[in-house]
This record gives sequence, structure tokens and C-alpha cells, in this order.
Amino acid sequence: MASIKKGVVYLLLGILVVTQVYPLLWLILYSFKTNEEILGGSFFALPASPRFANYTEAYEQGNYLRYLFNSIFVTVITMVVVIVLASMVAYAISRFRWKLAPAALLVFMLGLMIPMQATLLPLMVMFKNIGILNTHWSLILPYIAFQTPVAVFILSGFMKGIPHEIEESAFMDGASVYRIFRSIILPISVPPIMTVCILTFINIWNEYILAATFISSERLKTLPFGVNSFVSQYTTNYGNIGAFLVMGAIPVILIYFILSERITKGMVAGAVKG
Amino acid sequence: MNVLKVRWWTIGIFVLPCLLLYMMMVFVPIVISGYTSLVEWDGIGVNKTFVGLDNYVDILFHDPHFWPAVRRTLMYAVFSMAEIPICLLFAILINRYVKRGNRLVSIYFMPVILSVVIIGQLWKTIYNPLDMGGMINGILNALGMQGHMRAWLSSPQFAMYCLYFVSLWQYFGYHLIIQFTGVQNIPSDIYEAAKIDGADGFKADRYITLPLIVPVFKISIVLAFIGSLQAFDLIMVMTGGGPAHATDVISTLMYNNTFLTFKYGYGSALAMTLVFICLAFTFVINGVFNRIEKKVG
Repeated sequence: MASIKKGVVYLLLGILVVTQVYPLLWLILYSFKTNEEILGGSFFALPASPRFANYTEAYEQGNYLRYLFNSIFVTVITMVVVIVLASMVAYAISRFRWKLAPAALLVFMLGLMIPMQATLLPLMVMFKNIGILNTHWSLILPYIAFQTPVAVFILSGFMKGIPHEIEESAFMDGASVYRIFRSIILPISVPPIMTVCILTFINIWNEYILAATFISSERLKTLPFGVNSFVSQYTTNYGNIGAFLVMGAIPVILIYFILSERITKGMVAGAVKG
Repeated sequence: MNVLKVRWWTIGIFVLPCLLLYMMMVFVPIVISGYTSLVEWDGIGVNKTFVGLDNYVDILFHDPHFWPAVRRTLMYAVFSMAEIPICLLFAILINRYVKRGNRLVSIYFMPVILSVVIIGQLWKTIYNPLDMGGMINGILNALGMQGHMRAWLSSPQFAMYCLYFVSLWQYFGYHLIIQFTGVQNIPSDIYEAAKIDGADGFKADRYITLPLIVPVFKISIVLAFIGSLQAFDLIMVMTGGGPAHATDVISTLMYNNTFLTFKYGYGSALAMTLVFICLAFTFVINGVFNRIEKKVG
């Protein structure tokens, strides 16, 4: 009886592995097929001989490296600035004595409920007026702003728990608040900072709508936007499309293979604390 | 309370850079949106005609696409929330029957980290008609069910359900891992004590796991709910709201009115409506859960 139960459970879990992973594997197979094989409709057959040309062609026709570099640039700057600014605010909110601290936290928390799409048009008009529309700054600035609420929340939650004795003794020794922040608080806060890094990376690396709305130059496109315009441009070259999609997914998948536990933990922490 | 006392300008140095940027990028746009929603403006000229609440009246009473979009947005939320009990069930099963559950859960998690562009284009390909190599139609063909083959995303009747499914597929792993972490965090000695008292298996789940998992369950529900209200980019990638508005939700309606037909005032009114709905529902859902928590705890 118990073993039947166990068997049923394993069967269910197995089916779930298939539904969650098979579409991704299917895409990889697809990316090595010729157009004839794809259109032939044998959905689970292996390609007769893997067509690597799909990849070289996709690489030559699209600006993969350009997109990749743009995404790295935008994501890294956003991450660094979010961490610096959010940890400063979190420190002030959790450790300084000032009346408006709860109000400041509330203001940031409101941001968690505001849909980013609602700001698209006003931001576009603003950026156009100050002349940064269609530059990477038109992405980086809102990215930073929309990542700060959750970052402030996670960091201030952690910093509240740091024992005050550490700060006090440093203060007695004549260290300034800036010094305490830089040499004591920040090093202690590395674990929540990692969580913030992961959340920011996943959100910004994958962001599509802002990029598609604010960027029009080919050379400024980020990876998701670039992949999407490649795919919509070469609608009938199925193998190349598959190859470009796989190439678009590779960076984040690679990072996930290396850091899967950190990433899942970070995203759970972000969900639970956000 | 031993909190540092510092001068006001020190607080300013720590808080203002972030706060100002944040206000400029989040709150100022919302205020501008609020103003733009009261005018009629095509975005090109400086001619803005003040029309008061006309845009809102049009949305609520004259736009044939608005209420269907609201209905789809709410359906989105219902489907996403309905998935969570299933995630909890799987979380409990994995915790009980699988030795290295973490590994398994991190496999299920894979779709979560991919961009909507990859997910959307992948599923577009899967939903393709047979003569374009679509997988679903390929499977139906192989099973001899040609009668059910169709161009899924071009069918006004089915397209929306196809989109719901992709969202459920992508976020299954996310909610599973949240529930799984919650289940793992329940101390095992509670179960051992219950076993001595004769509560085992599903009985233990009923009286121990469920009450203790409520806070985590709430987190998933809130995330799923807010996420569906804001559901947007996947639809933009896969259908853009079409065919013939069959997959429009509030945000795609807003986007298309603003950036395709350049009705800036009208689009802003839709954006404000979305903001109101998000805020209102967040308060409602928090209120509901506070009650439940009081009852259970």
C-alpha cells in the first residue's frame, strides 16, 4: 500500500518534470533542426544531424554580442547603484533616530504596489524633454527606482537586527557615521545584499517593456528586446529563431547552474520579505 | 532604544539621493498621469484640451473593450491563485517523499528565471499551427486528434486560455518553492509529537501543516494576485492583445491606446484606473488575510 502511494507520487513528480522542462528541451532540439524537419511536424524526433549553421547564421544576422553587452552594462550599473542607494536609506531608516523614518519606509513600500506600466508614458515624455530618451539612462534610472522598494525593505529588515553594541564601541573610538556605515554595517550586511543582487539581476536582466518602449536604436537594445525584434524580423527562418532564443536564454541559465541554490533562496527571501 | 542620533543633514545625505530619484521615477509620473488623464491630447502638439473626468466616463460606460479586459484580468488572478493549493500539495509531497527535494524543486524553478521574451516566443512556437511546426498540434496530429488542431493564438476563443496556461506554467516553480520553503521551516518535532498522539500523514497536514503555512500561503496569494493585475509583458510578446482584442487586459488596453493610437489622455486614464485597482485590491486582500490569520492563529 505504502509503495503504491509512493509510486503514484513519483509518477506525479515525474510528469511535472516533463511539463516544466520538456518545452525547454524541445526548444534546444528545435534550434538544431532544418526548416524541413521543423515543418515536418515530428515534434519529438531528434534532428537527423544537428544543424549548427542555425547558430552561426543567427549569430551573423543578429547583433547578439551587442545586445549581450548592453544588457550586462545596464544590469551591472543598476545593481551597483541600487545596492549603494538602498543600503544608505535602509541604514538611515533602521538605525538613525528621526521622526520621519516610518513615513520614509511607507513611501518606499507604496512603490511595491504601483504598476510600472502606469509610468511608461509620463516617463517617456520626461525623458524626451531632458533628451535622454533612447539612451541607456532612460532604462537605468527607472530600473533603479523600481528596484529600490524591495531592496530597502530587505536591507532595513536585516539592519534592524544588528546589535547596537558594535556601533556604539566604534562611535566611542571616534568613528564617524560614514565610517561605521562603510566599515561595519556594509560588511555585516553582505547576505541580504546578495539577495538584493539576485533579485535585481533577474528582474532587470529580463526586463522587456521599458526597453521596447524607450529604446529605438538597434545598437542600444538589451538582450530581451533584441531577441524579440530578431524573432519578429525573421519569421520564417524557424531554426535560426530557435537558435537565437537559446542564445538569449544561455547567460541566465549558465548563471542558474552555477548559483541555483543562491538564486532560489534569494528569490524566496525577496518574495517572503517583499 | 539605542538608536544613533545624528544631525539632520547626515540623514539627508543618506536618504535624499535615493528618495529623490525614486520620487522622480515613480511618484512624479503617477501625478503627471493623473493630470494627463483629465485632458485630451494626441501627444504631438501642445494642444491639450481639459475634459475633466470625460476620459473616465468613456472608459467605464462607452469603451466596449474595458469591461472584458477587467474580466480577463480578474480571471488571470483567479487562475493564478487556484494554482497555489496545487503547489502546496506538491510541496508537501516532495518534502515527505523525496530525499533531496531541493534539487527537484530547483529543476521546476527553471522557467521562472527566464525572460518573458524567451518564454513568450517559445510558447508561441509551441502553439504554432502544424504547418509551422507547432508542438501542440504536432502531438494532436500524432494522437490522431486532427479535429482539435487549430492556430491556438489566432483563435479568439482559445487565445486567452493559452496565455493563462503559459503564466501558470512559468510561475508554478516560483510558488512551489515558496511553499516548499515554508513546509521545510515547520519544525519536525511538532510532527513527531503529533505522531505520538496518533496524528500522521494527511491528518498531521490538516492540523499542523495547514495552520502553520497560512502566512507563507498568503505571500503566494498576494504575489499571484498583484502579478496578474499587472500581467502585461507576456501578453505583449505573445499576442499584443489580439486577435481582435480577445486577449486584452487592462494594461495592454492602456498600452495600445497610448502608444499605438496615441490617445495619451485616454491611455493615462486607463493607467490611473489600473493604479487604483492595484491599490484597492492590495488593501482588500491584506484585510481578508488579517482576518483569516486571526481566526486560525
